[in-house]
Parts: sequence; structure tokens; C-alpha cells
Amino acid sequence: MAGATIDHMVAVTILIAALLLTMGVYNQMFASAVGYEGNRKIAMKAVDIINTACLSPGNPEDWGETNASLLGFGLQDPQAGGYALSPYSLMRLRTSSDDSQLVEYPPGSGLFYNNISADYGCGIFSPVGDCLNYTAAAKMLGINGTYGFRLDIVPTLDVNVSQVPNEDYLILKVEVRGPGIALADVTLNYYMFQIVPGEGEDDPPSITTQSEIVQTGPYGSALIEFPTITDLNTAYSFLVYARLSGLKGVGYYSHDTIEDDPSYIVPLIQDFKNGTIAIAHTWDVHYFGTPVPNVYYNATFFVLSQGFQLHQVQIPNATGQVNYGQPPQTTRVPAYEAGVLFIAYKGRGQLRSIVLPWGVGTLGVSISFGGDPTGYSFVATELRQVSINDISYQVKVSTWSLSG
Amino acid sequence: MRTVEVLFVIIILLGALIMAIQFAVLPSPRQAFGTNLRELSQSTLETLDGKGILTETVFKDSNDTDWGDLQKALSASLPPNVVYNLSVYDISTSSGGVIDYHLANSISDAGFGVDSEAASLLATSPNVTFTITPEKVGEKTGENNTLYILNCNDANGWWITGYTGQSLATDIYDLLSPYFTTTVLLNTTDQLGLLLENSTSLEGTIQNAVVMNPFGETVPIPDDYCEGGSHEDEGYYVIAYENDTYSKYCYTLGVKTQQYNWTWVSIVGYPLYYVSNTETFTGPDDHNGYGIHGMIKVGPAGLNAFLRGLDNKSYDVWRLEGSDWIYGDGSITSEIGVVQFTPQALDKCNYYGIYPSPYQTASRALPQSIEVDYHLERWAPIFELKSGYSAAATYRHAGGATEGGALTAIGLTRIPDIRVAVLALLMYYNPTVYRSEFGASCTSRLVTLQLGQQGGT
Repeated sequence: MAGATIDHMVAVTILIAALLLTMGVYNQMFASAVGYEGNRKIAMKAVDIINTACLSPGNPEDWGETNASLLGFGLQDPQAGGYALSPYSLMRLRTSSDDSQLVEYPPGSGLFYNNISADYGCGIFSPVGDCLNYTAAAKMLGINGTYGFRLDIVPTLDVNVSQVPNEDYLILKVEVRGPGIALADVTLNYYMFQIVPGEGEDDPPSITTQSEIVQTGPYGSALIEFPTITDLNTAYSFLVYARLSGLKGVGYYSHDTIEDDPSYIVPLIQDFKNGTIAIAHTWDVHYFGTPVPNVYYNATFFVLSQGFQLHQVQIPNATGQVNYGQPPQTTRVPAYEAGVLFIAYKGRGQLRSIVLPWGVGTLGVSISFGGDPTGYSFVATELRQVSINDISYQVKVSTWSLSG
Repeated sequence: MRTVEVLFVIIILLGALIMAIQFAVLPSPRQAFGTNLRELSQSTLETLDGKGILTETVFKDSNDTDWGDLQKALSASLPPNVVYNLSVYDISTSSGGVIDYHLANSISDAGFGVDSEAASLLATSPNVTFTITPEKVGEKTGENNTLYILNCNDANGWWITGYTGQSLATDIYDLLSPYFTTTVLLNTTDQLGLLLENSTSLEGTIQNAVVMNPFGETVPIPDDYCEGGSHEDEGYYVIAYENDTYSKYCYTLGVKTQQYNWTWVSIVGYPLYYVSNTETFTGPDDHNGYGIHGMIKVGPAGLNAFLRGLDNKSYDVWRLEGSDWIYGDGSITSEIGVVQFTPQALDKCNYYGIYPSPYQTASRALPQSIEVDYHLERWAPIFELKSGYSAAATYRHAGGATEGGALTAIGLTRIPDIRVAVLALLMYYNPTVYRSEFGASCTSRLVTLQLGQQGGT
């Protein structure tokens, strides 16, 4: 009797141990499968989001060129189709995630501007009221509260411009790189805008333009010499378009005679449909103390046409004065023509410039739009090649689950 | 004993576990969550082919420096962990019609791992022009039909909201003139008068012509055919109680259509519902009741009179309604709602490369009964019949005392889609389209971009 009982107890113990072991293994398998399934859903959602963003123009399809409210999210260029994004729709994305990054103008008015900025004195200041924010985009994509996403739109080619130390005349170095490789034999189409001071104290500056086509050498760089520019403290802006087979990129560099001070002028987009831009005094946006500079400006709009040719077009109020505490000057650019608004200005006897790209591709501006994936255990990414204003870009979508 | 039984159970459990592990194989993380390489490949090909640069390169000799640039561009545009192979195949068609693909060139940066995805692009040589040569209408029969398009600058249209007759005339010219030996725009109602009089001063051949009326429910009328004009008896009729009607003009159009074997095309709505001449109809009441002046309403009598003229019947169908003499039997069309293309129409859309929506709304569909009443045969129907009504077709007069003439009537609601009328006419005449051969050697190349991801498991 005792032997049978012991036999029974041993058997039950071994059985329970075996069951626990196998259940543990099965649990592990199921957990992995469930985890895979969840991650797979996120990856599929990333594909869904990037296809919607890149292959749909949104509704209405010309929403980037108007002030209309958006009913459906999409960034495709309706005129070009395919993997081409609208340079104007991108300008209407609210890229600032934090209200402190917004610019209020006039101060206390409650009118805020989103700043899609690039380096070296260029920026796109769009009225927040006309911009699409992340939450609204997520709602239109049907993922609000379930998935988070982030769009990173960056130029494929990295075109870097720097000034080479030289005592006699100006030399600029242009380097073109892909991801990790220097690119030789790249055709460079450059524009040098030299800022020339006006005759009198109160005269706005003017600009002179030089352009040429050169190629990068075997190490992916080109030295461009300007023997006519002997004053190395001269103010200028340099714009270069790079072409290699079907790849196109853009680089921008500016040099000012004003040091340590903020920009004296801020161009603010007032109306997308009409292309209205306010040229405001920086001290009206943020007060930097005395002395307040009086600013004389000269604004020029260049339309970017096929083959990366820049053509100047006439705009109203092309020259004028901007004073602190006074209403801004207002100009208008052709709303449906991508290009760059180049504003040269003089303040405290010094020269400087600021550029507003009309259409993000014309100056190779990068854009990040959406939430922050930091802290999430699994983030799926998708990548596509696109073109914006004929400039090659890469769009990366990061997607994560908000439900854990 | 129990222990032995338990051991058996454990063996069974372990067996089940091993089998489950064997079969429940999860996909690799790269397969499950990796970047969609096929889409990346497709977008890379498309962006590199911006302005046709990739197409230009793939037709160049393999020693050309452009291939080196393309390789650099590929390396620069793809992430460092993605390897590629771009292959170009020459497409040729053998005499037996078999399409062959021969590798013309290939570039790659590394070998592939286990998985890869590919996308392709069909490139056509920039040195080759692919042409489409349409057969001219009437070329086979020797008739060489002339296309006359009413483009009268002294007439207004109706039921063509958003357009003018003149703008539609231009569109029709662009779409149809390649199919005709001679296309003539009749720029005034006087020129239309010359057509009706079979004048030799007009370019083209009036006999067997096609007459397109892009003015919708309105038809331009020459001044001579209006009250007091030299052809008043062919355009204007006064009956008792001083009621006048321009249905006589529509009757004349029907007669001329039969006499000269025309195909009269009405692009939208109720045909011949108004007559228009902005120079002649200048009175305060000369409007259609919707703010469009320079026109006079004929009503359903216009189409009825036209069909009687086409069928060589007399102009004498009158009845007294109240105190008014009414011509004809009133409205004969019906609002039948949404209609859809026939399979033949869908086929011809692809053949001629014209793609209007296959679903349209018909508010002026014609009844089948007119085929018996006026000795008509319904040809080339675009839409399926619905409740005994046809939304768009060509009615050929093929019986009665005399034969000849046809009416193409598109009984759709506004806004007009001119492509429907163009399709109807092409379906009726059915001209052949000669296309140059896309499969001819060295004219087309297939570009495939295969991508693989390095690293990961």
C-alpha cells in the first residue's frame, strides 16, 4: 500500500514538473508569436503611412497651394504624380512639436509662425493657423491614439559648401557626398549672389549674380575661385545645384559682414494662395535691446526653372526700409512658381542676407514632422526615394504602437 | 507502475513540443519588419528616371561613362546596408511573335544574401519615336468623309455648362481631326448656311460628311433661315394664332442630313431644343428662360421634326393643344439615370485611348420606338439599353422611301464629356489605328533593380 502511494506521489510530481516545463516552453513560443504579430502590424502600418504620404496628394489635392483646410492627408505633387512630393504641401506642415519653438508676430497678437529652418540664414516661417499639426495628420490617417509616426524628409545628396582660407581672393569648396561616399564627376550649377552696399547711407544694398557650371573632382569636391572678389569680408550668398545621373541635390552657403548679432529681418509667410510675405524687423519678433538697427533691404525673387536655371521676376516692394515698431513691408511672390526669395539688407552699415525658399526643394530644406519615437520598444521604419522640385530626397517613416 | 505511465506521458508531451517547435517557425525579423525593398526599388527607379535620364543611360553603350555615373548615383541613393543589382534587358520580338529578353548590361555592388526584392521599369529608346497612325474615315470606301465642326462665333450653347461651343469645338478638333482627311471649322452661322446650300466655296466634301454640333441642346441657325431671311421657308413657319416655330429649320436639317448622307452629331442633352443666332435673335424675349440670350426655344418639336425630315416625311404634324398648335408628339426622351458602357465601348476605349467614365447619368435617352417610327437602325451603342431607352448611339436611316443619313445622339446630362461623343463617332466609323511596333529590336529595354539587405538574420 505504502509502495503504491509513493509510486503515485513520484508520478504526480514528475508529471507536474513535466507539465510546467512544457507549458513554459509553449508560453515562450506563444509570446514570441504574439510579439512578432504585433511588430508585423506596426511594420505594415509603416508601409501604409509612407504610401499614403508619398503616393496621395491629400484632399483637396492642391492644399499646399491654398489656405484651404485639409480633409485627407497626403504629400504627393498632384501635377507630377509618382514619387514626387509637393514642395508647397510640405511648407504647411507644423514641424515644431513645442510651442516655445514658435515665433509670435506681432508680439502679444496671438499669431504664431512655425519655422522650418535650414542652415545659414534661411528659413520658412509659416502661419501656424494654416499649418497641419501632428495630431490632425494622425486623425486623418486613422491612427490617432493607436500608432505614432514620424516623417523625416532629407535630401539624398549632401552638398556642403565652405570658404577656403586664402589671402588674395575668395575660394569656395563644394563637397558632394552620398551616404558614406564622396561623389566624383558631379555637375555643379552654381549661383553667387554678391551683396553690394548702396551708394548712400540710406540706400538699400543691391546684388550682383555670377553663375557657371563646373564638375567635382575624383574626391567629390570642387574648388570654385572668384578672382574678382578680393575683399574676403564681403557679404554673399552661394547656391549650388548638383547633378549626377538622375540624382540631384542642392547646397547653400552665406557669408555676412555682421557678426554675433541675430538676423535683422524675418520673412513671414502671410498667405499661401497669394504668395504674400511680410518682411518684418527681427526686434519686433524678439527684442534684443538697444541700439535697434534701421534696416534697408532689397528683395529679389528667382524662379527655379528646368535645368536648374534661376530667373528673376519682378515683385512688389522689392526695396524698402523696415523699422522696429512699424508695420512690416509686404511683398508677393508668384504662388505657383517654386523659387527662392533672396533678401539682402543693410543695418548699422553692415551687410547681410536671408533666403526664403518658396517650395522646400529649392534650397534642399530638411523636414521632420510627427511624434518622438524615443522610449518605444519597437519602431518600424520605411524608406522611399522621392523628388521635390526635382531635387532627390529620401523619405523615412518611423512608426510605433502607442498601445504598448 | 504510475511512474512508467507518467514517463509515457512525458514522452508524448516532449514529442508534441518538438513537433511544435519544428513546425512553428517564425519568419526572420528582416522578412517580418524589414524595409519594403520592392517599393524602395520602385521609387529609386522612378526618381532616377526623372526627366528620362535613366532611360537615356540604359540605351548607351556599356563602356559609356554614364553607366559609371549611374552606378555612383545608385550607391549614393541607397542606404549603405542595401546592396543592388541593376540589369537591363533588350526586348525583341521574333517573327513568331515570341518576346525575347536578352541581358544587355548589368551593374551591382555586392552579392546578395538570402532575400532580395526587385522592381522593374520599361524604358523606350529616346531615339525612337512611337507613332500611332489612324486610318482616315472613309479611306477604305473612297468616300474620304469630311468632318465639319460648328464653331459659330455668333451662336450660344446650352446644356454645356462650364464650356462654350467654341471651346468644345477646339477640343473636338484636337481629338477627331487625325481621323479625317479634311476637318473644317465653320466659324460663323453664314458658313453653316453655305454647308446647308451645298456650296462649293466650302473646303471639303459635303456629301457623306460628319457634322458635329458642340453647342449642346442648341443648334446654330443662319440668318437666312430666320424670319424674313432668304431661306425663311426652310427655317421658319407661322401657324394659326401667330405661333411661330423654328422646328421647320430642324426639319430642314433632317432633310439635308438624309439628302447628303451626313452623320449629324449632338454631343449632349436633348438634340435641337433651341436655335441660336446672337446677331439675329436680339429681342428681349429671345432667350432660353435661363439667362442665355440670342436663342429661341423649339422644344421637343425640334428633334421630332429632324427625324421626320431624315425619314423623308412631310412637315405637317400638328395638333391643337388648348389654343396652341403643337408640332409633333411632345417629348420623346426619358430620364433613365445611371447607365454603363457596353463591353464593346470599353474595348474601344482601350483601342482609341479615350477613357471617359464608364458610368454616366442619362436624362435624355431616346426610346427604341424611334427605330420603327423613322426607319432607323441603332449602331454602335455606347451604353447598355435601360428600360427600352438608349443613352447614346448612332441611328442610321436605313429604310422607308429613301435611305441615308444618321444621327448620333448623346442623351446624357450636363456637364458634357466630349470624349463620349468622340467615342460614339469612332465606334460608328471604326477606323483602324496603326501603331508602331513596341517590341521591335533595340526600341525597348526592361530595367530591373534588385535590392538585398545585408546584416540581420
